[in-house]
Amino acid sequence: MSEHFIERSRYLCALGGAAATVTAIPGAIPILHSASGCAGNFAWTQNGGSGLQVGGYCGALTTPSSNIQEHEVVFGGDERLREQVASTLKVMDGELFVVLTGCVPEIIGDDIKSVVAGFSSQGAAIIGAETGGFRGNSYWGYDLVLQALFRDFVEKAPEKEQLKVNLWGIAPYADPFWRGNLEGVRHLLERLGLAVNSFFTTGDSLDGIRLAGSAALNIVVSELYGLGAATLAQERHGIPFLSHPLPIGPTASEAFLLAVAGKLGLSEERVNAVIAREKEEYFKLLEPLTDCWNDLDLQRYAVVVGDANYAGALTRFLADDLGWLPELTVCTDPLGEDERRRLTEGLANLASGYEANLRFETDASQVIHHLRQKWPAADGSTYHNAFSPAFVVGSSLERELAQSLGAGHLSVSFPVANRAIIDRGYTGFRGGLRLTEDLISAIIVGR
Amino acid sequence: MSYIDLKSAPKREERLKACIAHGGSICDLGGKGKKSCLVDDGERGFTQGSICLLLPALAMLNTLPDNVVLMHSAIGCGTCTHSQNANVRFGGNVRWGAVKDGIWLSTALNETDVIGGGEEKLEQAIIEADERYKPFSISVVSGCVPGIIGDDIDNVVKQLQPRVKAKLLPVHCEGFKTKIWATAYDAVYHSIGRTLLESNGAQETVTGEGEPGLTPYQGLERLPRTVNLMNVSSMGRVDELELTRLLTSLGLEVNVFPVFAHPAGMVTATQAALSVSTCPTHDDYFLTYLEERFGVPYLLKHMPIGIENSGLWLRDVARHFGQEAQAEALIRHEEEQLQAALAEFRPLFAGKTVFVSAGEFRALATARLLEELGFRVTGIRSFHHDEFAQGEYDKLAASAQEDYPIDIANVQPFEEANLLKRIKPDLFLGHANGNATAAKLGIATHVIYNTGLAYIGYRGAYDLARRLARQLKNPSYNRRLAENLRLPYSDTWYEAPPFSYINSRGGATQ
Repeated sequence: MSEHFIERSRYLCALGGAAATVTAIPGAIPILHSASGCAGNFAWTQNGGSGLQVGGYCGALTTPSSNIQEHEVVFGGDERLREQVASTLKVMDGELFVVLTGCVPEIIGDDIKSVVAGFSSQGAAIIGAETGGFRGNSYWGYDLVLQALFRDFVEKAPEKEQLKVNLWGIAPYADPFWRGNLEGVRHLLERLGLAVNSFFTTGDSLDGIRLAGSAALNIVVSELYGLGAATLAQERHGIPFLSHPLPIGPTASEAFLLAVAGKLGLSEERVNAVIAREKEEYFKLLEPLTDCWNDLDLQRYAVVVGDANYAGALTRFLADDLGWLPELTVCTDPLGEDERRRLTEGLANLASGYEANLRFETDASQVIHHLRQKWPAADGSTYHNAFSPAFVVGSSLERELAQSLGAGHLSVSFPVANRAIIDRGYTGFRGGLRLTEDLISAIIVGR
Repeated sequence: MSYIDLKSAPKREERLKACIAHGGSICDLGGKGKKSCLVDDGERGFTQGSICLLLPALAMLNTLPDNVVLMHSAIGCGTCTHSQNANVRFGGNVRWGAVKDGIWLSTALNETDVIGGGEEKLEQAIIEADERYKPFSISVVSGCVPGIIGDDIDNVVKQLQPRVKAKLLPVHCEGFKTKIWATAYDAVYHSIGRTLLESNGAQETVTGEGEPGLTPYQGLERLPRTVNLMNVSSMGRVDELELTRLLTSLGLEVNVFPVFAHPAGMVTATQAALSVSTCPTHDDYFLTYLEERFGVPYLLKHMPIGIENSGLWLRDVARHFGQEAQAEALIRHEEEQLQAALAEFRPLFAGKTVFVSAGEFRALATARLLEELGFRVTGIRSFHHDEFAQGEYDKLAASAQEDYPIDIANVQPFEEANLLKRIKPDLFLGHANGNATAAKLGIATHVIYNTGLAYIGYRGAYDLARRLARQLKNPSYNRRLAENLRLPYSDTWYEAPPFSYINSRGGATQ
């Protein structure tokens, strides 16, 4: 892993993640205070990495943007932003406007807070977040928008509703399966009898987000993404939070439901009934695959390459439910020591007892070297215990790795250039079935 | 002193007085009227995001074999490569039968770097990239951040070049510095010229601007039948093959330049007998340079999109080599074949109205082609405007049955939405990530640029006609969208004049 550069980064900057997040909020319109090219760069990035999803109600090249130039760099951009916000409120039809700053205005010291406050005090539904690209990547930009919502949009509610929760931890477009993954978790929670605000699904609304302060629990289905907002919501709104790995498949979903029920103090009877029903469905549906599973010898060694959510979640599913052998897991996010330790500990005791091998590597061209440390290449001897049959679950950038290993391949983590995704998701019990279908379909494509 | 002797290429709003904010009509711009925006560009008081010069620059650089792109900026800059990588993969496959991902890196400047400077990080990144990937060249591309904090990428490259094996190409793409993203072509060409075609920053045999007797790079011989076919990534392989077919039938050799050209072989461009542009928006900077320094004359007038335009383009090349008669015979034969093949589509196209949006020259040339196919052009958006397009506006003004709007805009889909609601064309042709507005209004749409599809020459005219017939035959996808979705604009915006926000910056429409 290089200390000096990041190879083919699998995320945008904070502004890019923030803009995508605002686009995903029902009725919301982002206003970029940035150079002119930022919005286009995001559009092209999503076009190539988010499973063919570009924009939405207001995103991509439709995004209002102050397009600041040298003039503003010299004289400051506050005036230009004020003009842009005023004209945006006239031209665009939105229920919430979110001003997001890029690198240039932040470095020159524009004061967006006072610009936003000026409009907000006149009754405009507008908030802002400082999301300069140098502050972090997409996932941090996502977190910053959620923080802004909890700081300036969500109403204070001293009384909590015991069966109401907020759900996040899956960044829109940065996870190409964001819709389906959110819906999959939402479905689990609804089966428990909970009312869920999940911000970004078709079942959500700005009114629901405004009332998010009355939730009894914030559930973050990530060990890293969105935790800043969870901490802020705890401090400002008094809502405790549960950070839990993204649940893919029956083992992880069962653990997730138990964790939520424990945190909310739900009756064991209720949660066990939900788990039993979901499991029964899962295995009844899986049952007819079993002959071909054996006849075609569909067990695989696996390399998993993904972001902080997927690296662990996919590994757990492969090891604990599918019975594959994930010999190497690579997390491609640039992370600090604490974050690495958290993810490593999270994979330490898999339900199956399988020993995961988690590495941190931003540069995916180096994955092969990590694998070769444990599984050396053939040395010409007659008998060689090879890493075969193998499969690579990663992004579309792992196709070259898969090819060099003679392995099957499925794109799941960003970038996903070679799949069209609308609302497919892998979370929950049913998500495990979807993933099983996709993995095996990739193996038997030539059958 | 030429532009090439400067550290970076000048921005086009200064060099060419190019502009991006004008609302006019074909008669205005086509010489029937008096208005021109070349001198005084307006600024909009409401703007939407677009691209900056970084995107087209990377579209070129990512295709170069054995080249690593090293972005020096915050982590988001250059992630557009995720979509451009598809072109790299397909382009490599159709040219060499090998699918390979591009290699792009970022120094990912963070808050510490913004305060302390990023030059040292860049130095280390170059050294490590040189060792790890062992490329022929590394393009060191700067985004906005180094442009503001004052990192000097040219100096870093100069200091480091003796210590690394790869050729280092500094490319300036500070997005806030120019609103004309076509400056990208100049920025990349500038670096190619200074780094790969010059010795120590200057060609030693210079005898004077434009004088005959200039020679190719360092003693290489002139190739009397070779033409440089310029492609900055606006043509896919299928279009290159069409033009190569036409030029080869005149007995010429073709050197496609610079996309997918190995940097080590780029000196061939200095040996050619002629450079032929396929789009004047792209190439004037570099072709002037090739002529001034290496005595390679150039053609920079027509874009070979459209039946008439393809002929004009071909005739100019043939005239240079004294092969006019041969070209006439070729063109006659091509046109006869094409016209016969197009006959089946003409009843479907006759009288249908079309709105076209793209880079200026492409939009105008495609509009002429659509007229040739039987459509009636009722609106055009050009992404910018400069002097090179005057001839195309004149052609369209001459053939227009009635006046129609010309929107000079770096995309700005709010103006497009307003115009489309008024004009209600049957068909819309827009650029990448630029067809959704028309699609959500239920208009049949087709992409005007895609490196996997044919647009150029006679083959391109036919293939485009086939694709448009397909779109017009069943635009249900768009119709169903329009029935069920709405665009994000207020009702009052549709009632306002479409160009209300042009020249409004500074408070006119407050």
